[in-house]
Amino acid sequence: MASTTALPTSPARRRRVRWPRFTMAIPAWVWYVVFFVLPILVIVLYSFGYKPPVGSQSSIGLDRLSFENYTNIFSPTFRLTFVATMRVAIIGTLLCLAVGFPLAYFLATKTSPRFRGILLGLVIIPFWTSFLLRTFAWRILLAANGPLSSWLQDVGLINGPFAILDTRGAVQLGVLYNYLPLMVFPLFVALDRLDPALREASKDLGANRLKTFFQVTVPLAMPGIVSGLLLVFIPLAGEYVTPSVLGGAKGLMAGGLVASQFLEALNWALGSAMAVVLVLLILAAVAVFGTVGWIAARLIKRRRRVEVPA
Amino acid sequence: MSTATVPERTIAAPPVHRRRLDWVVGSLRGYAALAYIFLFAPILVVVIYSFNAGRFLINWDHFGTDWYGTAVANRGITGALRTSVVVALVNAVVAVLIGMFAGIALARRSGRWRQPFLILVFLILVAPEIVDAIAYLIFFVRIGIDWGFARLVIGHSVFNSAVVALIVRARLEGLDESLEEAAADLGATPSRTFRQITLPLMLPAVIAGGLLSFTFSLDDVIISSFVTTSGFTTLPVYVFSALRTGLKGDLAAISTITLAGTLIALAVTFFVLRRSGESAEGVVTTITGTG
Repeated sequence: MASTTALPTSPARRRRVRWPRFTMAIPAWVWYVVFFVLPILVIVLYSFGYKPPVGSQSSIGLDRLSFENYTNIFSPTFRLTFVATMRVAIIGTLLCLAVGFPLAYFLATKTSPRFRGILLGLVIIPFWTSFLLRTFAWRILLAANGPLSSWLQDVGLINGPFAILDTRGAVQLGVLYNYLPLMVFPLFVALDRLDPALREASKDLGANRLKTFFQVTVPLAMPGIVSGLLLVFIPLAGEYVTPSVLGGAKGLMAGGLVASQFLEALNWALGSAMAVVLVLLILAAVAVFGTVGWIAARLIKRRRRVEVPA
Repeated sequence: MSTATVPERTIAAPPVHRRRLDWVVGSLRGYAALAYIFLFAPILVVVIYSFNAGRFLINWDHFGTDWYGTAVANRGITGALRTSVVVALVNAVVAVLIGMFAGIALARRSGRWRQPFLILVFLILVAPEIVDAIAYLIFFVRIGIDWGFARLVIGHSVFNSAVVALIVRARLEGLDESLEEAAADLGATPSRTFRQITLPLMLPAVIAGGLLSFTFSLDDVIISSFVTTSGFTTLPVYVFSALRTGLKGDLAAISTITLAGTLIALAVTFFVLRRSGESAEGVVTTITGTG
């Protein structure tokens, strides 16, 4: 820690005897460069390598680099999985927003402060129980001959047994379940910071509820919505566990494709290239949606602009 | 839906009354109840099915606590649980030490380094875990770190320390720096100022960050299953490989036990933080790092 050589005399001078600005962040810098930046760069390098012949000591061949892995990824088999992955991720993210927003809105505006903490805590308690077991529990809940399926048939709500397990539908439900808290939190924080007086002012000025909601509440909660979308979309697009537990062969996502190259096919070069493509796709999707959202916001703003006489 | 508002708006009832009969609040309440059922149903299933005495977890057979005995007696499971806990603890210490100082620096030392650092932290937080996992695997093989324990701790600590850094930063930015300056003005050395002023002030954030790091690490599947070596199987890795052959009740039993343990730890943290004067909501946002 700091030295005891801090100079006495005037307080002003003493305060200046500080470490250089970023010293305290040095351990983190070193840690992140060595254990994050470097490994990612190594992936990029590996993605241009090739799978060494069977029996070779090494797990990668790097003596001739090519784009071969990338051209392989764009073959139909792999491409379809990547497209499906993006679809699951986009639908899953929007579902999280649709399901999470009313809940966050309720928690932030319609609960008494006394219970708010507890209710909010309840949203994250699922986070603190085994992720795998929770996901597996959906296999019990969704099983064709499971208790929920037979009960719903007895009541007459569904005609036949569930047929959702090991399909993309089950993956979609599973990711909604697993990522919902990640959406609710940023939304809650944004809505909670919103001054109730603003909504009241809108009402007093004659706006009905829908108008207040869409023209006051939603725009002011936008930062929370955006961070929620990012927080959910990015990890969801790289999902590997939920599809492997709930999706079976039909629910395979790009993350699972990457994993199988490392764990089964032992083709590290192709797996690395897939990881690079996955990250690039995620970044591209974020960039596209970001741009579209930004343009839409600008257009709406211009249309709704109120000229205030000086 | 919109038709329901019409009569309500024409009766110019005082706002207080209207509130009590409000259909929006009512339906939001019902909705929230459904959402909580959705969130808790699988957990309830795990707890209930841990008392399923049948051979496989997925089919309910009859009630029994047999699997609890089996789980506790299974060396593979208890060993994996022990590995998980030890890795999670060491990872939490590493993550707190690295993240705490980074957080202080972010909150208290402005400068040109801050922007790139924040971008790096952001990238760490959003990188898909599967990409991290293969990156660590390749990297550890490449530079020859073969010790599974170190691989797990390092693999978990990168993400977790970034979380700690952001929580500590948020906490310190909400606090006036003048307290630290006053201590310095009154003659405290920097290390004393740190120990007696800065550290106590950011303690809730440090506890929260440590707790989060611990739980993230304890429940991590992806990075762990890629970097682990034989002899260092964590519980999630054990469960993940057991999934392929069909889960049995022992794993539901051990999960129920750890759930009970986690809830107790959370309750204790909650009350400790509350005693230190935080509001319930503040505690939750601190614990989750969203504050």
